[in-house]
Amino acid sequence: MKVLGIAMAVLGWLIPVATLVITQSTTARMVICLLGLALSLVGILVVLNKGHLKEAIWKA
Amino acid sequence: MSRILKLCSLTIVLLLCGLSAWAQTQSSTSGSAPATAQSSAPVPAMDAPLNVKMAQPPSTDDLAKGDPGGTKTGTVNDIIVSDPNKGLTLSDTVNQVGQNRIAINFTWTLITGFLVMFMQAGFAIVETGLCRAKNANHTMMMNFMVYGFGLFAFWVCGFALQMGGCAPAGTLGGANPLNSEHTISLLGKTWGLYGTRGFFLSGTTYDVGVMVIFLFQMVFMDTALTIVTGAAAERWKYAAFAVSSVFMGAITYPLFANWAWGGGWLSQLGVNFGLGHGYADFAGSGVVHAVGGLTALALALIIGPRIGKFNRNGTPNAMPGHDIVIVLTGCFILAFGWFGFNPGSTLAASGNGALRIGSVAVNTMLAGCTGSFGALLYMWMRYGKPDASMTGNGLLAGLVAITAPSGFVNPVSSAIIGLIAGFLVCISVEYVERVLKVDDPVGAISVHGTNGLWGVISVGLFADGASNYGGSWNGVNGSVRGLFYGDPGQLVAQLIGVGTLVGFVFGLSYAANFVIHKVVGQRVSAEDELEGLDIPEMGALCYPDFVLKPTSTPAGVTAREAADVAIPMHVARETA
Repeated sequence: MKVLGIAMAVLGWLIPVATLVITQSTTARMVICLLGLALSLVGILVVLNKGHLKEAIWKA
Repeated sequence: MSRILKLCSLTIVLLLCGLSAWAQTQSSTSGSAPATAQSSAPVPAMDAPLNVKMAQPPSTDDLAKGDPGGTKTGTVNDIIVSDPNKGLTLSDTVNQVGQNRIAINFTWTLITGFLVMFMQAGFAIVETGLCRAKNANHTMMMNFMVYGFGLFAFWVCGFALQMGGCAPAGTLGGANPLNSEHTISLLGKTWGLYGTRGFFLSGTTYDVGVMVIFLFQMVFMDTALTIVTGAAAERWKYAAFAVSSVFMGAITYPLFANWAWGGGWLSQLGVNFGLGHGYADFAGSGVVHAVGGLTALALALIIGPRIGKFNRNGTPNAMPGHDIVIVLTGCFILAFGWFGFNPGSTLAASGNGALRIGSVAVNTMLAGCTGSFGALLYMWMRYGKPDASMTGNGLLAGLVAITAPSGFVNPVSSAIIGLIAGFLVCISVEYVERVLKVDDPVGAISVHGTNGLWGVISVGLFADGASNYGGSWNGVNGSVRGLFYGDPGQLVAQLIGVGTLVGFVFGLSYAANFVIHKVVGQRVSAEDELEGLDIPEMGALCYPDFVLKPTSTPAGVTAREAADVAIPMHVARETA
């Protein structure tokens, strides 16, 4: 789960960067940037965090 | 009908002829004036002696009488003469003018750098005050030595990776030895990745301009490093802290800083892809604060919460700091140091639009002020009391948020950016603690991470196009404009910067600290944590004459009971 979270975070960064050369449209770039950012944040705040909460010290 | 048409045509032709003749007269008049001046005015030879008497310098006798009014000191007599036999020449004079400009910029940049260095003291006492007394020595020592660890790592390789290809830095005399950026060609574009000059400040980088840049960039880097110590306070193993800090000062911070400030690919988004002026981060909301805040989040996830921070059902317990006096004093020190952080980032006080330093300073002031207003209002309305530590965090949040846009926005926008930051820091602290269940003793993730990202985005919204610092920014002519001033492309560049911070910087920080966790172990033992880290980790109490009482265990649970639960868990994990 931790690896998946980090992978989502990195992917959310790479997608907008890669699409810079695919489209010239500012609107399209902005939408893709926001989607990528959302993917990264979900990866970190939901998936990765869930992986850490599984073994939280206070859960015992 | 045809007569009318002919008449109209004739009128138009006559009108055009008249306009043409008038335009020619104007152009010949304006063009001939300088030519006449050039031909009539003799051009003095650069090495010809100047008639110094025309400047009416004070005599030696005059100067011997003293100068209480300050009207005789600093005259033509003080210009350095290269050849005493010739006397003062035009060449001497213009060289002096050039050196004066660079000297002003050197002095400005160095003094503001010294102010930023002093922010370390502010961070140290803010973090220590927000921690419990039993960990005060440990927290202070982390903040103290992060300066040394960071400086060493930056000198060895961090500076070269960050600024090795940043030349020319016009305001500081060029810094021409820093002229090598490692680039790759990908998808038809050139992407700058890292610099390759300036390791150990040796070779050609033994240069006066390079030294000024090094000092200024070093204290910025150290600010980013010290942010992390707050989020991991009260449970971070000192050895792991040392290794983690060296890595961040040598690799993580310099890489992103190169991409933003050292001529790397983010700064070239405007040139290569037509996105505004590329990623614009005037003084480092992203480069310094978001890098520090996101690394703090990565570490806080890995290291886990303090014992007693969360109950078994996940509800958080308050673990108040031990000295609100030093917390707020530290906030003031930081606000003072921020006058170096933001206005100093012009790297100049003379030329290239650097007189905007006054505007940058006022923007900084305003955002800090409205940030503290925002946090105070939020806490007062939500909890019925104007919480001191959160008000202090609101001040810092406003300052963090205005750091990137401070050079590009007007005072009204600064106030709005700061106010939003003040609210945002409170909401973020609650979210991090209650939803994510991440323990951040000082609120570093929210103050620096969340508001660092907000600061980066706010450039793309509020930059008003009133400043361009010498004609262009990141190689794109004209001034930086945000979405509200007509350039949506700038917002896209900023969002790509935010994506890079969240995806790349967080990912790298997480991976590096995870490896350190596996090799060195990031967390102290449960016994040490409950006892307080001053004796186990540092060998001395911060307050040996005081009697410390145990606090901050879950409601209805004694410290001993908490230890009974925590120690077997910790041992089990270490042995697993």
